[in-house]
Amino acid sequence: MPFIKYTILAIIIVLSIYALMPPSNGAGQAHLGSDPNRNKDKPASVKYVIRFNPGPLYLPGVIPENSKKPIEGIQKVADEFEKLYPDTRVEFLGVPGDVREWLVTQLSSGRAPDVIQINVEDVWQDIQKDWYVPLDEYLDAPNPFVEAGEPGSKQWWDMFKYPIPTRGTMAPNDKMYCIVLDMIETGIFYNKDVFRRLDLSEPKDWLEFLQIQKTLKQNGYIPLLVDRQALSDWGVDLTFDQMYGELRDLLDLDYDPNRGEYLHGYLDWDELIFLHRKGFFSKNDPRWRELWRVLKDWRQFMSQDLNAIGTDFVRAFMTQEGAMYWGHSMTTNRLLADKNLGFEWGIFYLPPIPQSYSRFARGKDQVVIGGSAMQYSVTNSAYSDTHDPKTSERLKRVMAFLQFLTLPKNCDAVVNEQIALLPNIKGVEPHKELLPFHEFLQRHYAMTKWFYTFDLQFDEVLERQLELYLNGGMSEDDFLDWMEKNLDNASKRIISRKELDVERFEKVWRERAEMRKKFKELPSVAN
Amino acid sequence: MSDHLGLYALLAPTFILLAVFCLVPFVIAFATSFFDYEVGGDAKFIGLSNYLEYFHDYTFLQSFANMLLLTAFSVVMVMIVPLVVAKLIFSLSSERASYFYRILFLLPIVIPNVAVFLIWQSVVYSEIGLVNSLLKAIGHGELARGWFSDPRTSIWALAFIGFPFAGGINILIYYAGLTSIPDSVHEAATLDGATGLKKFVLIDVPLVMSQIKLLVMLTIIGGIQAFEGIYIVTKGGPGFTTTVPGLWMYFNAFKFQRMGYACAIGVILFLLIMLLTVINLRYFKTTEQLQGQV
Amino acid sequence: MRKRRSDIPIHLALIAIAAMTLLPFAFVINNSFRRTNEQFHGFFGLPVALKDAARFTHAHLSGHPDRIKLGDDVVPYADAMRHCFSELVFGFTYAWGIFRPYMLNSLFVSLASALGVVIVASLSAYVFSRYHFPGHRALFLAILSFMMIPGVLTLVPSFLWVKQLHLLNSYSVLILPYIAGGQIIAIFLFKGFFDGLPQELFESARLDGAGHFQQYWHIVLPLSKQIIAVVVIVNILSTWNNFLWPQIANGDANYAVVASGLYLMSQAQNVANADKSTMFAAYVISAIPLLILFVYATKPFMQGVTSGAFKA
Repeated sequence: MPFIKYTILAIIIVLSIYALMPPSNGAGQAHLGSDPNRNKDKPASVKYVIRFNPGPLYLPGVIPENSKKPIEGIQKVADEFEKLYPDTRVEFLGVPGDVREWLVTQLSSGRAPDVIQINVEDVWQDIQKDWYVPLDEYLDAPNPFVEAGEPGSKQWWDMFKYPIPTRGTMAPNDKMYCIVLDMIETGIFYNKDVFRRLDLSEPKDWLEFLQIQKTLKQNGYIPLLVDRQALSDWGVDLTFDQMYGELRDLLDLDYDPNRGEYLHGYLDWDELIFLHRKGFFSKNDPRWRELWRVLKDWRQFMSQDLNAIGTDFVRAFMTQEGAMYWGHSMTTNRLLADKNLGFEWGIFYLPPIPQSYSRFARGKDQVVIGGSAMQYSVTNSAYSDTHDPKTSERLKRVMAFLQFLTLPKNCDAVVNEQIALLPNIKGVEPHKELLPFHEFLQRHYAMTKWFYTFDLQFDEVLERQLELYLNGGMSEDDFLDWMEKNLDNASKRIISRKELDVERFEKVWRERAEMRKKFKELPSVAN
Repeated sequence: MSDHLGLYALLAPTFILLAVFCLVPFVIAFATSFFDYEVGGDAKFIGLSNYLEYFHDYTFLQSFANMLLLTAFSVVMVMIVPLVVAKLIFSLSSERASYFYRILFLLPIVIPNVAVFLIWQSVVYSEIGLVNSLLKAIGHGELARGWFSDPRTSIWALAFIGFPFAGGINILIYYAGLTSIPDSVHEAATLDGATGLKKFVLIDVPLVMSQIKLLVMLTIIGGIQAFEGIYIVTKGGPGFTTTVPGLWMYFNAFKFQRMGYACAIGVILFLLIMLLTVINLRYFKTTEQLQGQV
Repeated sequence: MRKRRSDIPIHLALIAIAAMTLLPFAFVINNSFRRTNEQFHGFFGLPVALKDAARFTHAHLSGHPDRIKLGDDVVPYADAMRHCFSELVFGFTYAWGIFRPYMLNSLFVSLASALGVVIVASLSAYVFSRYHFPGHRALFLAILSFMMIPGVLTLVPSFLWVKQLHLLNSYSVLILPYIAGGQIIAIFLFKGFFDGLPQELFESARLDGAGHFQQYWHIVLPLSKQIIAVVVIVNILSTWNNFLWPQIANGDANYAVVASGLYLMSQAQNVANADKSTMFAAYVISAIPLLILFVYATKPFMQGVTSGAFKA
C-alpha cells in the first residue's frame, strides 16, 4: 500500500508542476473559446475588448465528433479584424446561454458578453426590457466593409441570402435584434438501403408518406424517429399551415410594412390573440380539431420514445433500427463523419397533405419551418462606455465586427468550416451535401410559429400536454380544453407584459364579413 | 455571564456567515413572494396572491403527489438497500474483503449526477436501450416502450434511476451503526433462538435507528428540493406526470419570468420540509430512546 | 466470536450489487477511450485503439510486420503503437488541455472552502456540544433550518446581494457562500462526534485553567482527524461539481472552475456534436482529484463515518 501511495504522490507532484508551468505558446493547446494565451500580452493601446459568444458550433476549440481538428474559422476572421483595428481585441467565449438563470442574471446586471448567440424565443421574451440592442439602424445603412456596387453597399439587409427566414427572426414589435449568419432547415433523413429493399420511394403526398411508415413498421423498423419538441414546434406549425392555408388572407389582419413583403400573411401574437377571441383555435374551430387529429393519426408510426435526447435518435438511425429521422441540416455532418455507417441515405421534405386525407387540406407544398441558426444578439454590455446606444463608440466597434463577419469570405470561413449549416450571405455557396436544404429554404414561410409567438410557459405546456395526448394519456376533448386554457393564459400574460392593443383589429374584422362567407366551417362564433 | 460572551464569540463566524450569505438572500426571497416581480422588470406588491394562486395551480395536486411518491420511494430505498449491503459486508469474516467492498461502493460518488442521469436516459431507458433490448431478448417485445414518454411508466422510470441505490456513503453510515452493536447482543439473541432475517429485523434494525433517522431526514430534505435530474430527463413531462413543485418553481423563476410566484412556491416547500423534519425528529425514536424505554 | 461459515454467497450477492452500481462508472471510463462512432455502434466494447494495438503487437511478435497498417500504409511497429496511444488518449489530451487552467482555481476554491468549513463548523459544534447557554437549542435548530431552504429560491437574491457587496469576480464570492452553506451539515456531524468524546478529558483541562478556545485547540482538534476527513470530503464533493454559481458570479475566465469547463463541454456536445470521447474523458479528469483525495482520505474517512457521528 505505501508503494501505491508514494507513486500517486509522485504523479500528483509531476502533474502539479506541469499544471503550474506557463503553457507553451505552440499550437495544439486545447481550449474552448479564444486561446487564453492570445490576449495575454496585448499592448496597452488596446481600447476595446469585445466579448463574443459565437454559440457552441463555432466556438474556437470545439472538436466535432469523429474529427480531430478543432474549430478555428471565426478566430481567423477576428485575427483579420484586429489587423484593421489594432486597438480592438475580439475574445470568444463559451457561456451557458441556454441556462436562463445565467442569462437573466447577467443581462439584468449588464455583465453578459457584448454579443451572444441566443434563440429568438428567449429574446422576444424580454424585448420590453433594455437588455438587447435593436439593430435596424445598422441594417438599413450600408455595410462599410462592402465595396460599391456589391450587395450591402446600399443596405446591410441586402447581403442576406435568405431574406424570408431572416426576417422571420424579426420580433413582433417590428424590430430586428439579431444578425443571422447562417440557416438551418429540417428534413426527413431516410435509409436508402432499407427503402430499396422494401421497394419504397420518396413520398409525393401525405398518404404515401403514411403508407411508407406502415410498411416500415410491419418490417420491424422504427418508421420515424422524432421527438416531442420537434413535433410541438415544427409538427404543429407545418400542419397548421396545411389546415389554415386557404384562410391566409382572411386571418392576416395587420399588414406589416417591414416584413409583409417577405412574410406574407404572417400572424403575430396580437393577431392570434384576436382570432382566438373570435373563436378560432378553440374546440369550436373544426380546423383546430383536425390539426391535432392529423398529428395523433401520425403518432402510431413514430418512435415510442418521444422524449429522448436528439443524439439517441441519430444513433438509432445510424444503427439502422430507425429507418427515418426527422432532423435538421446539422445531422448531415454527423452521418458523413461516421466511418462505420453501413448504408446510403437521402433527404426529403415532408410531403403535402391532400384533400383526400383531410377536408381542410389543399395539397399545397409544405412550408419552410427552419430558419436562422446562429442568431447574434447585441447586449446592453456593448454600450457600457456611455450607457447610451446612441453615443457609444464601443457599440460601433462591436457592430463593425459583426459587419465584417458578414463579408462573404468571412461567412464562408466560419459557416463552411463544417457541413452543418447554410451560409446566409449572398455569394457564399453551401456545401453540396446541404443542397437539399437549400431547396427546402426556397419554399413559402410558415404562417405563424406557435412555439415562438407566445411565451415560454405556453411552449412548456404545449410540449408536455401534446406528448401526453399523443401517448394516450389524455382524451382529445381534454387536450383541447388544455390548449384553450393555455392560449387564454398566454394571451393574458402577453397583453399585460407587452402592452398590446388587440381591439384595433375589430374594424378590419367587420370589413371582412363578406370575405368570411366564402369559407366553410369557420368557428361557429366567428361572426 | 462573561463566560457566555466568550462562547458567543466562538459562534460568531458561523452566524455572521449564515446571516450574510443565507439569511439575507432568504429574506429577500421571502419578501419577493409577496410581489408580482420579474427579473429586470417592475415589482408590484400583491400580498398573498401568489400563495393563493399556487393552491389553485394546475400542477399543484399532481406535482405534490409526484414529489411524495418519489421522496417516499427514495426513503424506503435508503432504509433498505444500503442497510442490507452494509449488513452483508459486515457479515464477511475477512476484514480485508470488507474494506475492499466498502471502497468499491464508495467509488461512484465521484461521478457527477448529471452524467448518471444522462447515462440512464440514453443507455438504460432509450428506445434501443438496455431495458427494451432485454425485453425483446426474452420474448416480451410487446412490453418495450418509451419509458419516459409513456404516461403510465414515466414516474416509475424516473424513480428507478440509480438502481440499486447502493453507491455512496450511506453504506458506511449503516456499517458504523452495525459495528457499534456489541457482539454480546447477537450472542444473546442467538441463544434466544433468533436466526437470520428475524435476528436482523429484531436486533440490528432497532440498533441502527439513529442512522436510519438521519438518512431519512437527509433524504426527505433532498427529495423535496431535487429537480435537476427530472429537468434533464423529462422536464416534468409527458403532461405533468413527472413534474414536482421544485421543478415548477424553477420554471416559474427563470422561464416564465414569475420570480414572485416562484418564491412563494419555494417558501411553501421550505415550510413543508421544516414540518417533516420536526415530525421526524420528534416522533421517530432513536436507538438511545428505544434503549431508554427498555 | 463470529461463527465460521462460508462467505461465498455473500460475495456473490455483493459482487452482483456492486456490478450494477458500478456500471455507470465503468461505462464512463470505457467510453472516455472511444470516439463517437465507436460508442454509437455499440454501447459496450473495448476501444478500437486498444484492439488495434493488440492486433499490431500480435503481428509484430508473430513476424508479420506487413500486417501493421495505418489506413493503407505499412508502418513501423513503434509508429503504429504511438498512433494507437494517441488515439486512445485523444479525449483525455483534449479535456486536460481545457481543464488545465481551471484546475488550480477549482483546487483552491474547494480546499479553501473545506478548510473554512472545518474551522468555522468545528468551533460552533464544539460550543454546542460542550456548553449549555441561553438560546442553545434555539440557535442550533436555527442553523439546521438553513439546510431546508431550496437552493433555486435564493439564487437570484444571492446574486443581487453579492453584487451589492462588490464581491463579483473574485475567489471570495465562491468561497464565502460555500463555507456559509457547507458548515451546516458539518456542524451537525462535528457535534455528533464531539458528543461522543469522554467528558473527563475536558474536566481535567478545565481544572488546569484552560479556556474555551484552549480546550478546543488542544483537546478537541487533535482527536478529530477522522471526522475532519469526513467533513472535508463531504464538502469538496458538494462544491466540486457546482458550475452554475461560479458562472453566474464570475464572468471573468480568470476565476473559472473545472465544473464550468465541464458544462461548456457538455453544451458543445449536445448542441454542436462535439466528440463524445472528450466529454467522457472530461468527466473522468474532473473526478481525478476526488479520486486522489479518496486514496489519501479513505481510511480516516471510513473511521470518521463509522465513528458514530452520523446519526440523528
